[in-house]
Formats: sequence, C-alpha cells, structure tokens
Amino acid sequence: MTLQSDTDEIRQIEAEAAPTRFARGWHCLGLTRDFGDGKPHAVHAFGHKLVVFRGGDGRLNVLDGYCRHMGGDLSQGEVKGDEIACPFHDWRWGGDGRCKKVPYSKRVPKLARTATWTTLEQDGMLFVWNDPERKPPPPEVTIPRIEGATSDEWTDWHWYTTVVNINCREIIDNVVDMAHFFYIHGSLPTHFKNIFEGHVATQYMNGAGRPDMGEPGKPQMLGTTSVASYFGPSFMIDDLTYHYEEADHQTVLINCHYPIDANSFVLQYGIIVKKSDALPGDLALETAIGLGDYVKMGFEQDVEIWKNKARIDNPLLCEEDGPVYQLRRWYQQFYVDVADVAPDMVDRFEYELDTTSPREEWMKVVEGNLADRSAAGTT
Amino acid sequence: MAVRPDNRLADSPMVPVCCRRCGASVLARKSSWNQTSVQWDAEASARCLERREAENLAAYAGRSLFLACSALSDAIIEAVRHGDLPVVDETVPATT
Repeated sequence: MTLQSDTDEIRQIEAEAAPTRFARGWHCLGLTRDFGDGKPHAVHAFGHKLVVFRGGDGRLNVLDGYCRHMGGDLSQGEVKGDEIACPFHDWRWGGDGRCKKVPYSKRVPKLARTATWTTLEQDGMLFVWNDPERKPPPPEVTIPRIEGATSDEWTDWHWYTTVVNINCREIIDNVVDMAHFFYIHGSLPTHFKNIFEGHVATQYMNGAGRPDMGEPGKPQMLGTTSVASYFGPSFMIDDLTYHYEEADHQTVLINCHYPIDANSFVLQYGIIVKKSDALPGDLALETAIGLGDYVKMGFEQDVEIWKNKARIDNPLLCEEDGPVYQLRRWYQQFYVDVADVAPDMVDRFEYELDTTSPREEWMKVVEGNLADRSAAGTT
Repeated sequence: MAVRPDNRLADSPMVPVCCRRCGASVLARKSSWNQTSVQWDAEASARCLERREAENLAAYAGRSLFLACSALSDAIIEAVRHGDLPVVDETVPATT
C-alpha cells in the first residue's frame, strides 16, 4: 500500500522572542489632568518603575521610581517644592534627575543622579521621550499639534486605559491589516492605502456602513473616512469622520501605547468630537462617549485575538493582505541605534490595496446576514 | 531581529520603473490593475517634482499632502502596457 506521502513542505511558524530593548520615540503616558495634582504617580514603563510628579514650578517630571540612596519608592513619597522627597530618608530629587538635598547631611554625595525622561505636555497629554542611547529628542519627530484638542468647538478628551499582556508589535500590525477590520471589527473597508516614510506610517481607509449590523430604528451610518498616522513607534492620530445621512461627525481618535516590559503594554485611546449644529455640546459629548465605547469594544476584540494568537515573524500573506513586512521594516528603525537606521526603514513606501475581491466576498456575507435576519423576523 | 522578506515577492518581485517627467527610478509591483506598491529611495524622492510641489503646500497645511505622484503613476501604467511590469493577477493562474 502506498500512502500518498505528503512531501509538500509544511509551513512553519517562526518567531524570535520579543525584543528586550524599548522603542526610541515619544510615548504618551496619559492625560496631564491625571498626573498634575501635585502628588507622585507610579508608572510602569520601559522595564522600569517611574515616578511622575508636577513640581511647585508647574513642570511635570518623570524620573526612575527608586531612590539611589537606599532604593526607596519615590512614587510613595511626597512632592516638596520643585522636588520629589523619598519616603525612606527624605532625600530630594529634582526634575533634572539630580539629588538637590539630603536634609540631614551637610552635602550631597557625588554621582547623585538618577535616570530621567524628557517630557512634553501638549494638547492635554503627557509625553515622554524614550531613547536607549540617551540622546535628546530631535525636533523633526515631535508629536504634531491636534487642533481640536484645545478648542471650545470640540469636546474634551474621552480617554481609556487598559493593560494588554502581549508584545506591542501586535497593535502596530493593525496599520496594514485590512481584512481584520471586517472579520474582527465589523467594518467594511472600501478603500485602503498605506504610506510609510521617515518616522510616520499612515493608513488611509474608507469604510461603508454595515446594513446587517445596525440596530433597527437607529440612524444608519453610511460610512467612515479615516486617515490614521503613527508619529513614531507608539502614538497614532486618526482623523476619523463618520458619515450619516443627516450630517458628518468629525472626530479625532488617539490610539497610543507604552511598553511595560517586553511582553506587556498599556494601551490608551482617546476621542474628541467636533461640536456642530447637528451635534451641539451635550450631544457631541454623548457621541464621544458612544464612539469611545464602540472603539473600546473594537480593542477588546483585538485583545481577545492577541491573547490567544502565536507571535509570528513569517506571516504567510496573500495578495489582498497589506504590507506587513514593509511595516515591520519601518517599525524596526525604532529598535536600532540611530546610526544603524537603514535607508529602507525610512524610505517612502506606498501600497494601495485592491478592495474588489474582498468586497465581493464580504458583501455576500452581509447579504447572507440580512437574509438570516429577515427570516428570523427581526427587521 | 531582522525583518523577513515578503513571501509575495518571491514569485513576483518589484521591478524598476522610471518616471518620464523627472527621471526618478523607483521599484514597483502590481498585484492587479487597482493594486500597486511603490518603493522609493532617497534619490527618487529628491528628484520628484510633484513631491516638491506638495511639500511647498504642506508648509501651509501642516501635515503631508503627498499621496502619490501622478506622473509616476502614468509611468507605471505605461510599464504595464509595454510588458515591462507584470500584473500578478494576470500572470498567476488561480490555484483553486
């Protein structure tokens, strides 16, 4: 008997361990309103425990969380003047990382300096610059201003924070993953394009509404227009417009994260909504909350996949998939020294997807769902 | 942590295309008539006239406006017509 021996090669999933180095770049730690109360706050980031505090001079500072004297936890300490005082022996540390005073000693010892992270307060958010080479942030990679964030014509930030126990590359992959927007998030992409250049990676996506998913009686969303860019390794600004029959709802969605360690990160997202005749103040806020909950559901759907999936360095792609490898090549620039950034990591790359074939399939699914619905008498 | 090559490029790699307007040379690949990828390098970016025009405008608009170079898009279509740039859709027989 001859079994048809399957000599065809089996595709193996390959994956190296997640990098222990943390990305060079600006990372948003959250809203300044949550850090600026004059008390020390602990933040676990970049493999460290950090302390964030606003000094008497009004500046927000980020220091390594442990006192260089005897290892006291500065986030349990107290802000005294412009400095953070250690709860153990009252040593005082300034925002520049230097020990300013040891109250019971005549002088501060040599080398009394701890690690600090350069901070930026902008548009209601606190950013820190992380760089394993400890160089200052170049001006050309600064986070762009978000016009609506400081305008009365927009709502305040509606902000969410959650911990995800996986390496943060998974969330970056979403930039190019058109098909998952249908299968995981119930979107219906009709146009999809990526451009990577320098430290910016952009996703242009238009989506159609899902007639099979709306709640009966509620206004039907016609579609979305989205331009979403990562400015550096972790901070995405998404200019996202929801189209309804009666009006467009203009929103800005922030999708950002910072690594806790190699295998976990803090995911944050924030939304502001532009007020308009169709959306006066209260209604705009309601919309921000509603969209926020919707986005939250979306990320929870992602997290459910991430929790259970395998890390994969050699994804097997079909023509209708996005440029996963080229995105990861772009992302790699943040994990090497500046001197080792290769041209192809930052050279411009454009990728426009043909949505024809995916849409044909997805419309069949939508029509099937609609048929099921009407058979069940729910419409 | 080296990034692997795209498996799709093994059968159908990117090929050089030259822009007729500025002479910039890029690598292009077409999956279908409506799906194109374009790999620029620094020299091509520096040559492109439409890119320069967009950058001049972007100085007033804030974010980048440069979505694609229309002259280069024309050159890519011409390369397909002349048989210099294959369209994967039309060269790879369906496997099912």
